[in-house]
Amino acid sequence: MIARDLGGGAKLFLEPSHVLPIVSVVVALRTGSAHDPAGKEGLSRATARMLRRGCAGMNAVAVEEAIDRLGAELALEVAASSTAVAGQVLARNADAFVDLVAKLIRSPTFADDEAARLLRETRAELLEALDNDRVLADRFFRRRLFAGHGYGRAARGTAASLAAIDREAMRAHHAAHYVRANAVVAMSGDIDPERAERLARVLVEALGDGDAPGEVLGDPPALAGRHLVFVDKPERTQTQILVGSLGTSAHDDDHVALSVANAIFGGTFTSRLTREVRGKRGWSYGASSRLGVDRKRHSFVMWTFPAATDAAPCLALEIGLLEKLVEGGVSDREVRFIERYLTRSWAFEVDTAQKRVHHALDVELLGLPPDYYSRYVDHVSAVSTDAANAALRARLDPKNLVVTVVGTASTTLEAVRAAIPNLASEEIVAYDLEAKES
Amino acid sequence: MAGRSAIEKAVDKANEKAIEGAGKLRLEGRVPFGGGGDVDVLAMDNGLRVLLLVDRSAPVVAYSTWFRVGSRHEKTGKTGLAHLFEHLMFNETEHLKAGEFDRKLEEAGAESNAATWVDWTYYYEAVPKDRIGLVIDLEADRMAHLVLRDAQVASEKEVVANERRYRVDDDVEGIASEMLYRTAFVKHNYGWPTIGWMADILGFVPGDCEAFYETYYAPNNATIVVVGDVREADVLARIRKAYGALARAEIPEEDTFPEPPQAEERLVVLKKPTATEKLVIGWHGPALGDPDHAPLTVLSEILFGGRASRAYRAMVIDEELATDLRGWASTFRDPGLFEVYATARPGKTKDELLAALDREIDRLHAEVPAAGELERAKARLELGGLQALDTASGKAEQIGFYDTVTADPAGALRRLEAYRRVTAGDVRRVARRFLVKSARTIVHVVPEAPAGAAT
Repeated sequence: MIARDLGGGAKLFLEPSHVLPIVSVVVALRTGSAHDPAGKEGLSRATARMLRRGCAGMNAVAVEEAIDRLGAELALEVAASSTAVAGQVLARNADAFVDLVAKLIRSPTFADDEAARLLRETRAELLEALDNDRVLADRFFRRRLFAGHGYGRAARGTAASLAAIDREAMRAHHAAHYVRANAVVAMSGDIDPERAERLARVLVEALGDGDAPGEVLGDPPALAGRHLVFVDKPERTQTQILVGSLGTSAHDDDHVALSVANAIFGGTFTSRLTREVRGKRGWSYGASSRLGVDRKRHSFVMWTFPAATDAAPCLALEIGLLEKLVEGGVSDREVRFIERYLTRSWAFEVDTAQKRVHHALDVELLGLPPDYYSRYVDHVSAVSTDAANAALRARLDPKNLVVTVVGTASTTLEAVRAAIPNLASEEIVAYDLEAKES
Repeated sequence: MAGRSAIEKAVDKANEKAIEGAGKLRLEGRVPFGGGGDVDVLAMDNGLRVLLLVDRSAPVVAYSTWFRVGSRHEKTGKTGLAHLFEHLMFNETEHLKAGEFDRKLEEAGAESNAATWVDWTYYYEAVPKDRIGLVIDLEADRMAHLVLRDAQVASEKEVVANERRYRVDDDVEGIASEMLYRTAFVKHNYGWPTIGWMADILGFVPGDCEAFYETYYAPNNATIVVVGDVREADVLARIRKAYGALARAEIPEEDTFPEPPQAEERLVVLKKPTATEKLVIGWHGPALGDPDHAPLTVLSEILFGGRASRAYRAMVIDEELATDLRGWASTFRDPGLFEVYATARPGKTKDELLAALDREIDRLHAEVPAAGELERAKARLELGGLQALDTASGKAEQIGFYDTVTADPAGALRRLEAYRRVTAGDVRRVARRFLVKSARTIVHVVPEAPAGAAT
């Protein structure tokens, strides 16, 4: 891994590899959808997508044809804490591709007709996303768990917020965020260091001069009690169930210990959750738990998708398993097993140059500890059973949960409600709430 | 022995020891695999084939087993058996308790999974290089010594039923695609879903699974693909030891009827709880091994590949008829479908979508594409082809897939060469050969009445 300071606050991470004649390029910003102003959710994403809708001397069609001609692909991705202009290109065309990307970043036209077209497209995409029950579950889970916090906002926007976005808002967002002080460049693949640094400077020089926007994310609000969000959608033979709470911050002393405990609980095919839900009972094709990692404390969430008729017992089982996990902890045998899995499978987190350079990018963008990935194996190996159990007791409390179910209320709600003891609140929402609210 | 290559020496070494009941390995050939070296093609007396590519770019090994059995080999009333059986292969063997297979692989740090499709079933692992011996032993064990118990069959039936609900019953695109194939194929076994009809899934008994295993899970119906940081002599010796004594099976001759030509357009209407209309269309297309498959794939890129492609630009961007528009040619051993999936914008109809699509297809019938369009399509395909070879697992999948479907382990690279040779005239020719209205089936998804308001 090669790291360079490009001046003005911008950095370059580079991992050359000549395995394939492809080059990957990322221009990433340290800000994302959490910076969308209230009432203009979706602005970061719309602004990013406008980069390919025309720049100085090229309309949208010309941009797309140029990308295709180079044997390239370009993605514009916005997460809560970051934005990425990410591409891959045939190595022989890397210089031309970087010149093009620089032009898109430097001088997007934000033409009226293209901006309007983009917003119409985005509203149509919101409607299309209603077909995806997993996406719905995730959206409404985060909306409730992170209520009032940047992580709970709709990165795609809602019908109402998109109506409040115009080209001037996008232009202003671009001017404020696409600045050198806010940027990190990552390159990997079939490129030597000198050429990569030269191309990275081309990209960085396309960015503006201003100060990086400040941090807007505080810690998410604490959760108290158990809360059900039932997302009502007709004719569901199957439910999507997310059960979770606040989880971990990468800067917690017990972060790695909690990650180890989570892997035991729901991180592999032989984990407790998968064995009980899928292996023993066949209730769900998939069953897993995950700890989100971002700049601030993120989520712990269990995911299953049982048939509607099994939703209530599956939910009761999951809550019971979580209670048993926190109360009873994990065993020495489990910890030793999962540490072998995590340390040995690490080989697949670092087997390509692109994966390796993305680790460096994540550390920079999410403010992770500098050795988060480079010493991952050491950190995991150092976790004791006592530490894993202490982390569970400190960070997870089954009395405080958000339960999100996508299903058909008329057939499933009553049983689901009864499966959650000590329910503090309940919200039933139409599945198309955010796609249609005005 | 003077003049023997490294792989020949490795084969000699692997065959050195006498192993009771085990035949020998023989080298059948070497197939160039671009800058990545050569794929060694080996075979055993029991019919097992081994494809080996040394790749030291990472200290890992990808190991996959491709069985030449898929849903096309099933019978009416027993659809989904190949896929259910894939699930059962992760269970108990004569040497392992239930759950131990996965636990051993996880403890070794392996990634592991499987997939079933119309023509094949494949099982794969990726493992740190020092654990390859474990994978070989586990795979050979379950090929020959699987134990099927009633409780496990019952449980996996439930899992598969839930998988079907997830992928099909509650998924608009899934159910539309299933209907497309059911309607387009009236004779060929491609007409039934790989996951199986729900009634068939729920109706399986352990005897069905045992018969399937004994019939199809044999070394002479399998190809092993090994890609990674291996010592050839070591891995070949292990494979010979683990598989050499396994017995052949009498693999039944295939009993599939070719699909008769479709003489007129077919239309099915589905009502689903979805916000907008959808259009799923399938024209009868070529087999993957047909020389016209590559030009048809280039045609697909010209129409649907990226925001500058013809149909995408017309229907999504200029006329704003569609939110989503995709097309592709299926990659089957027998002639499959050229498929298009379109999601209408609110207020737009199937007739408008179809009219716009037909205009683009008519253009392809009438005129050759411009040189620039052809160039762009080929460049995109070149990038996509290379991306698939980024990891040991990616290479192994491409080698195993093309070997199984087209009998060419380097088929992925030949495809790239074939794309380069496609001319504008080829694109027009395949448009006229395949994209004719009489040869297409249309599934029209219509939104049901709006969902009830939240209570």
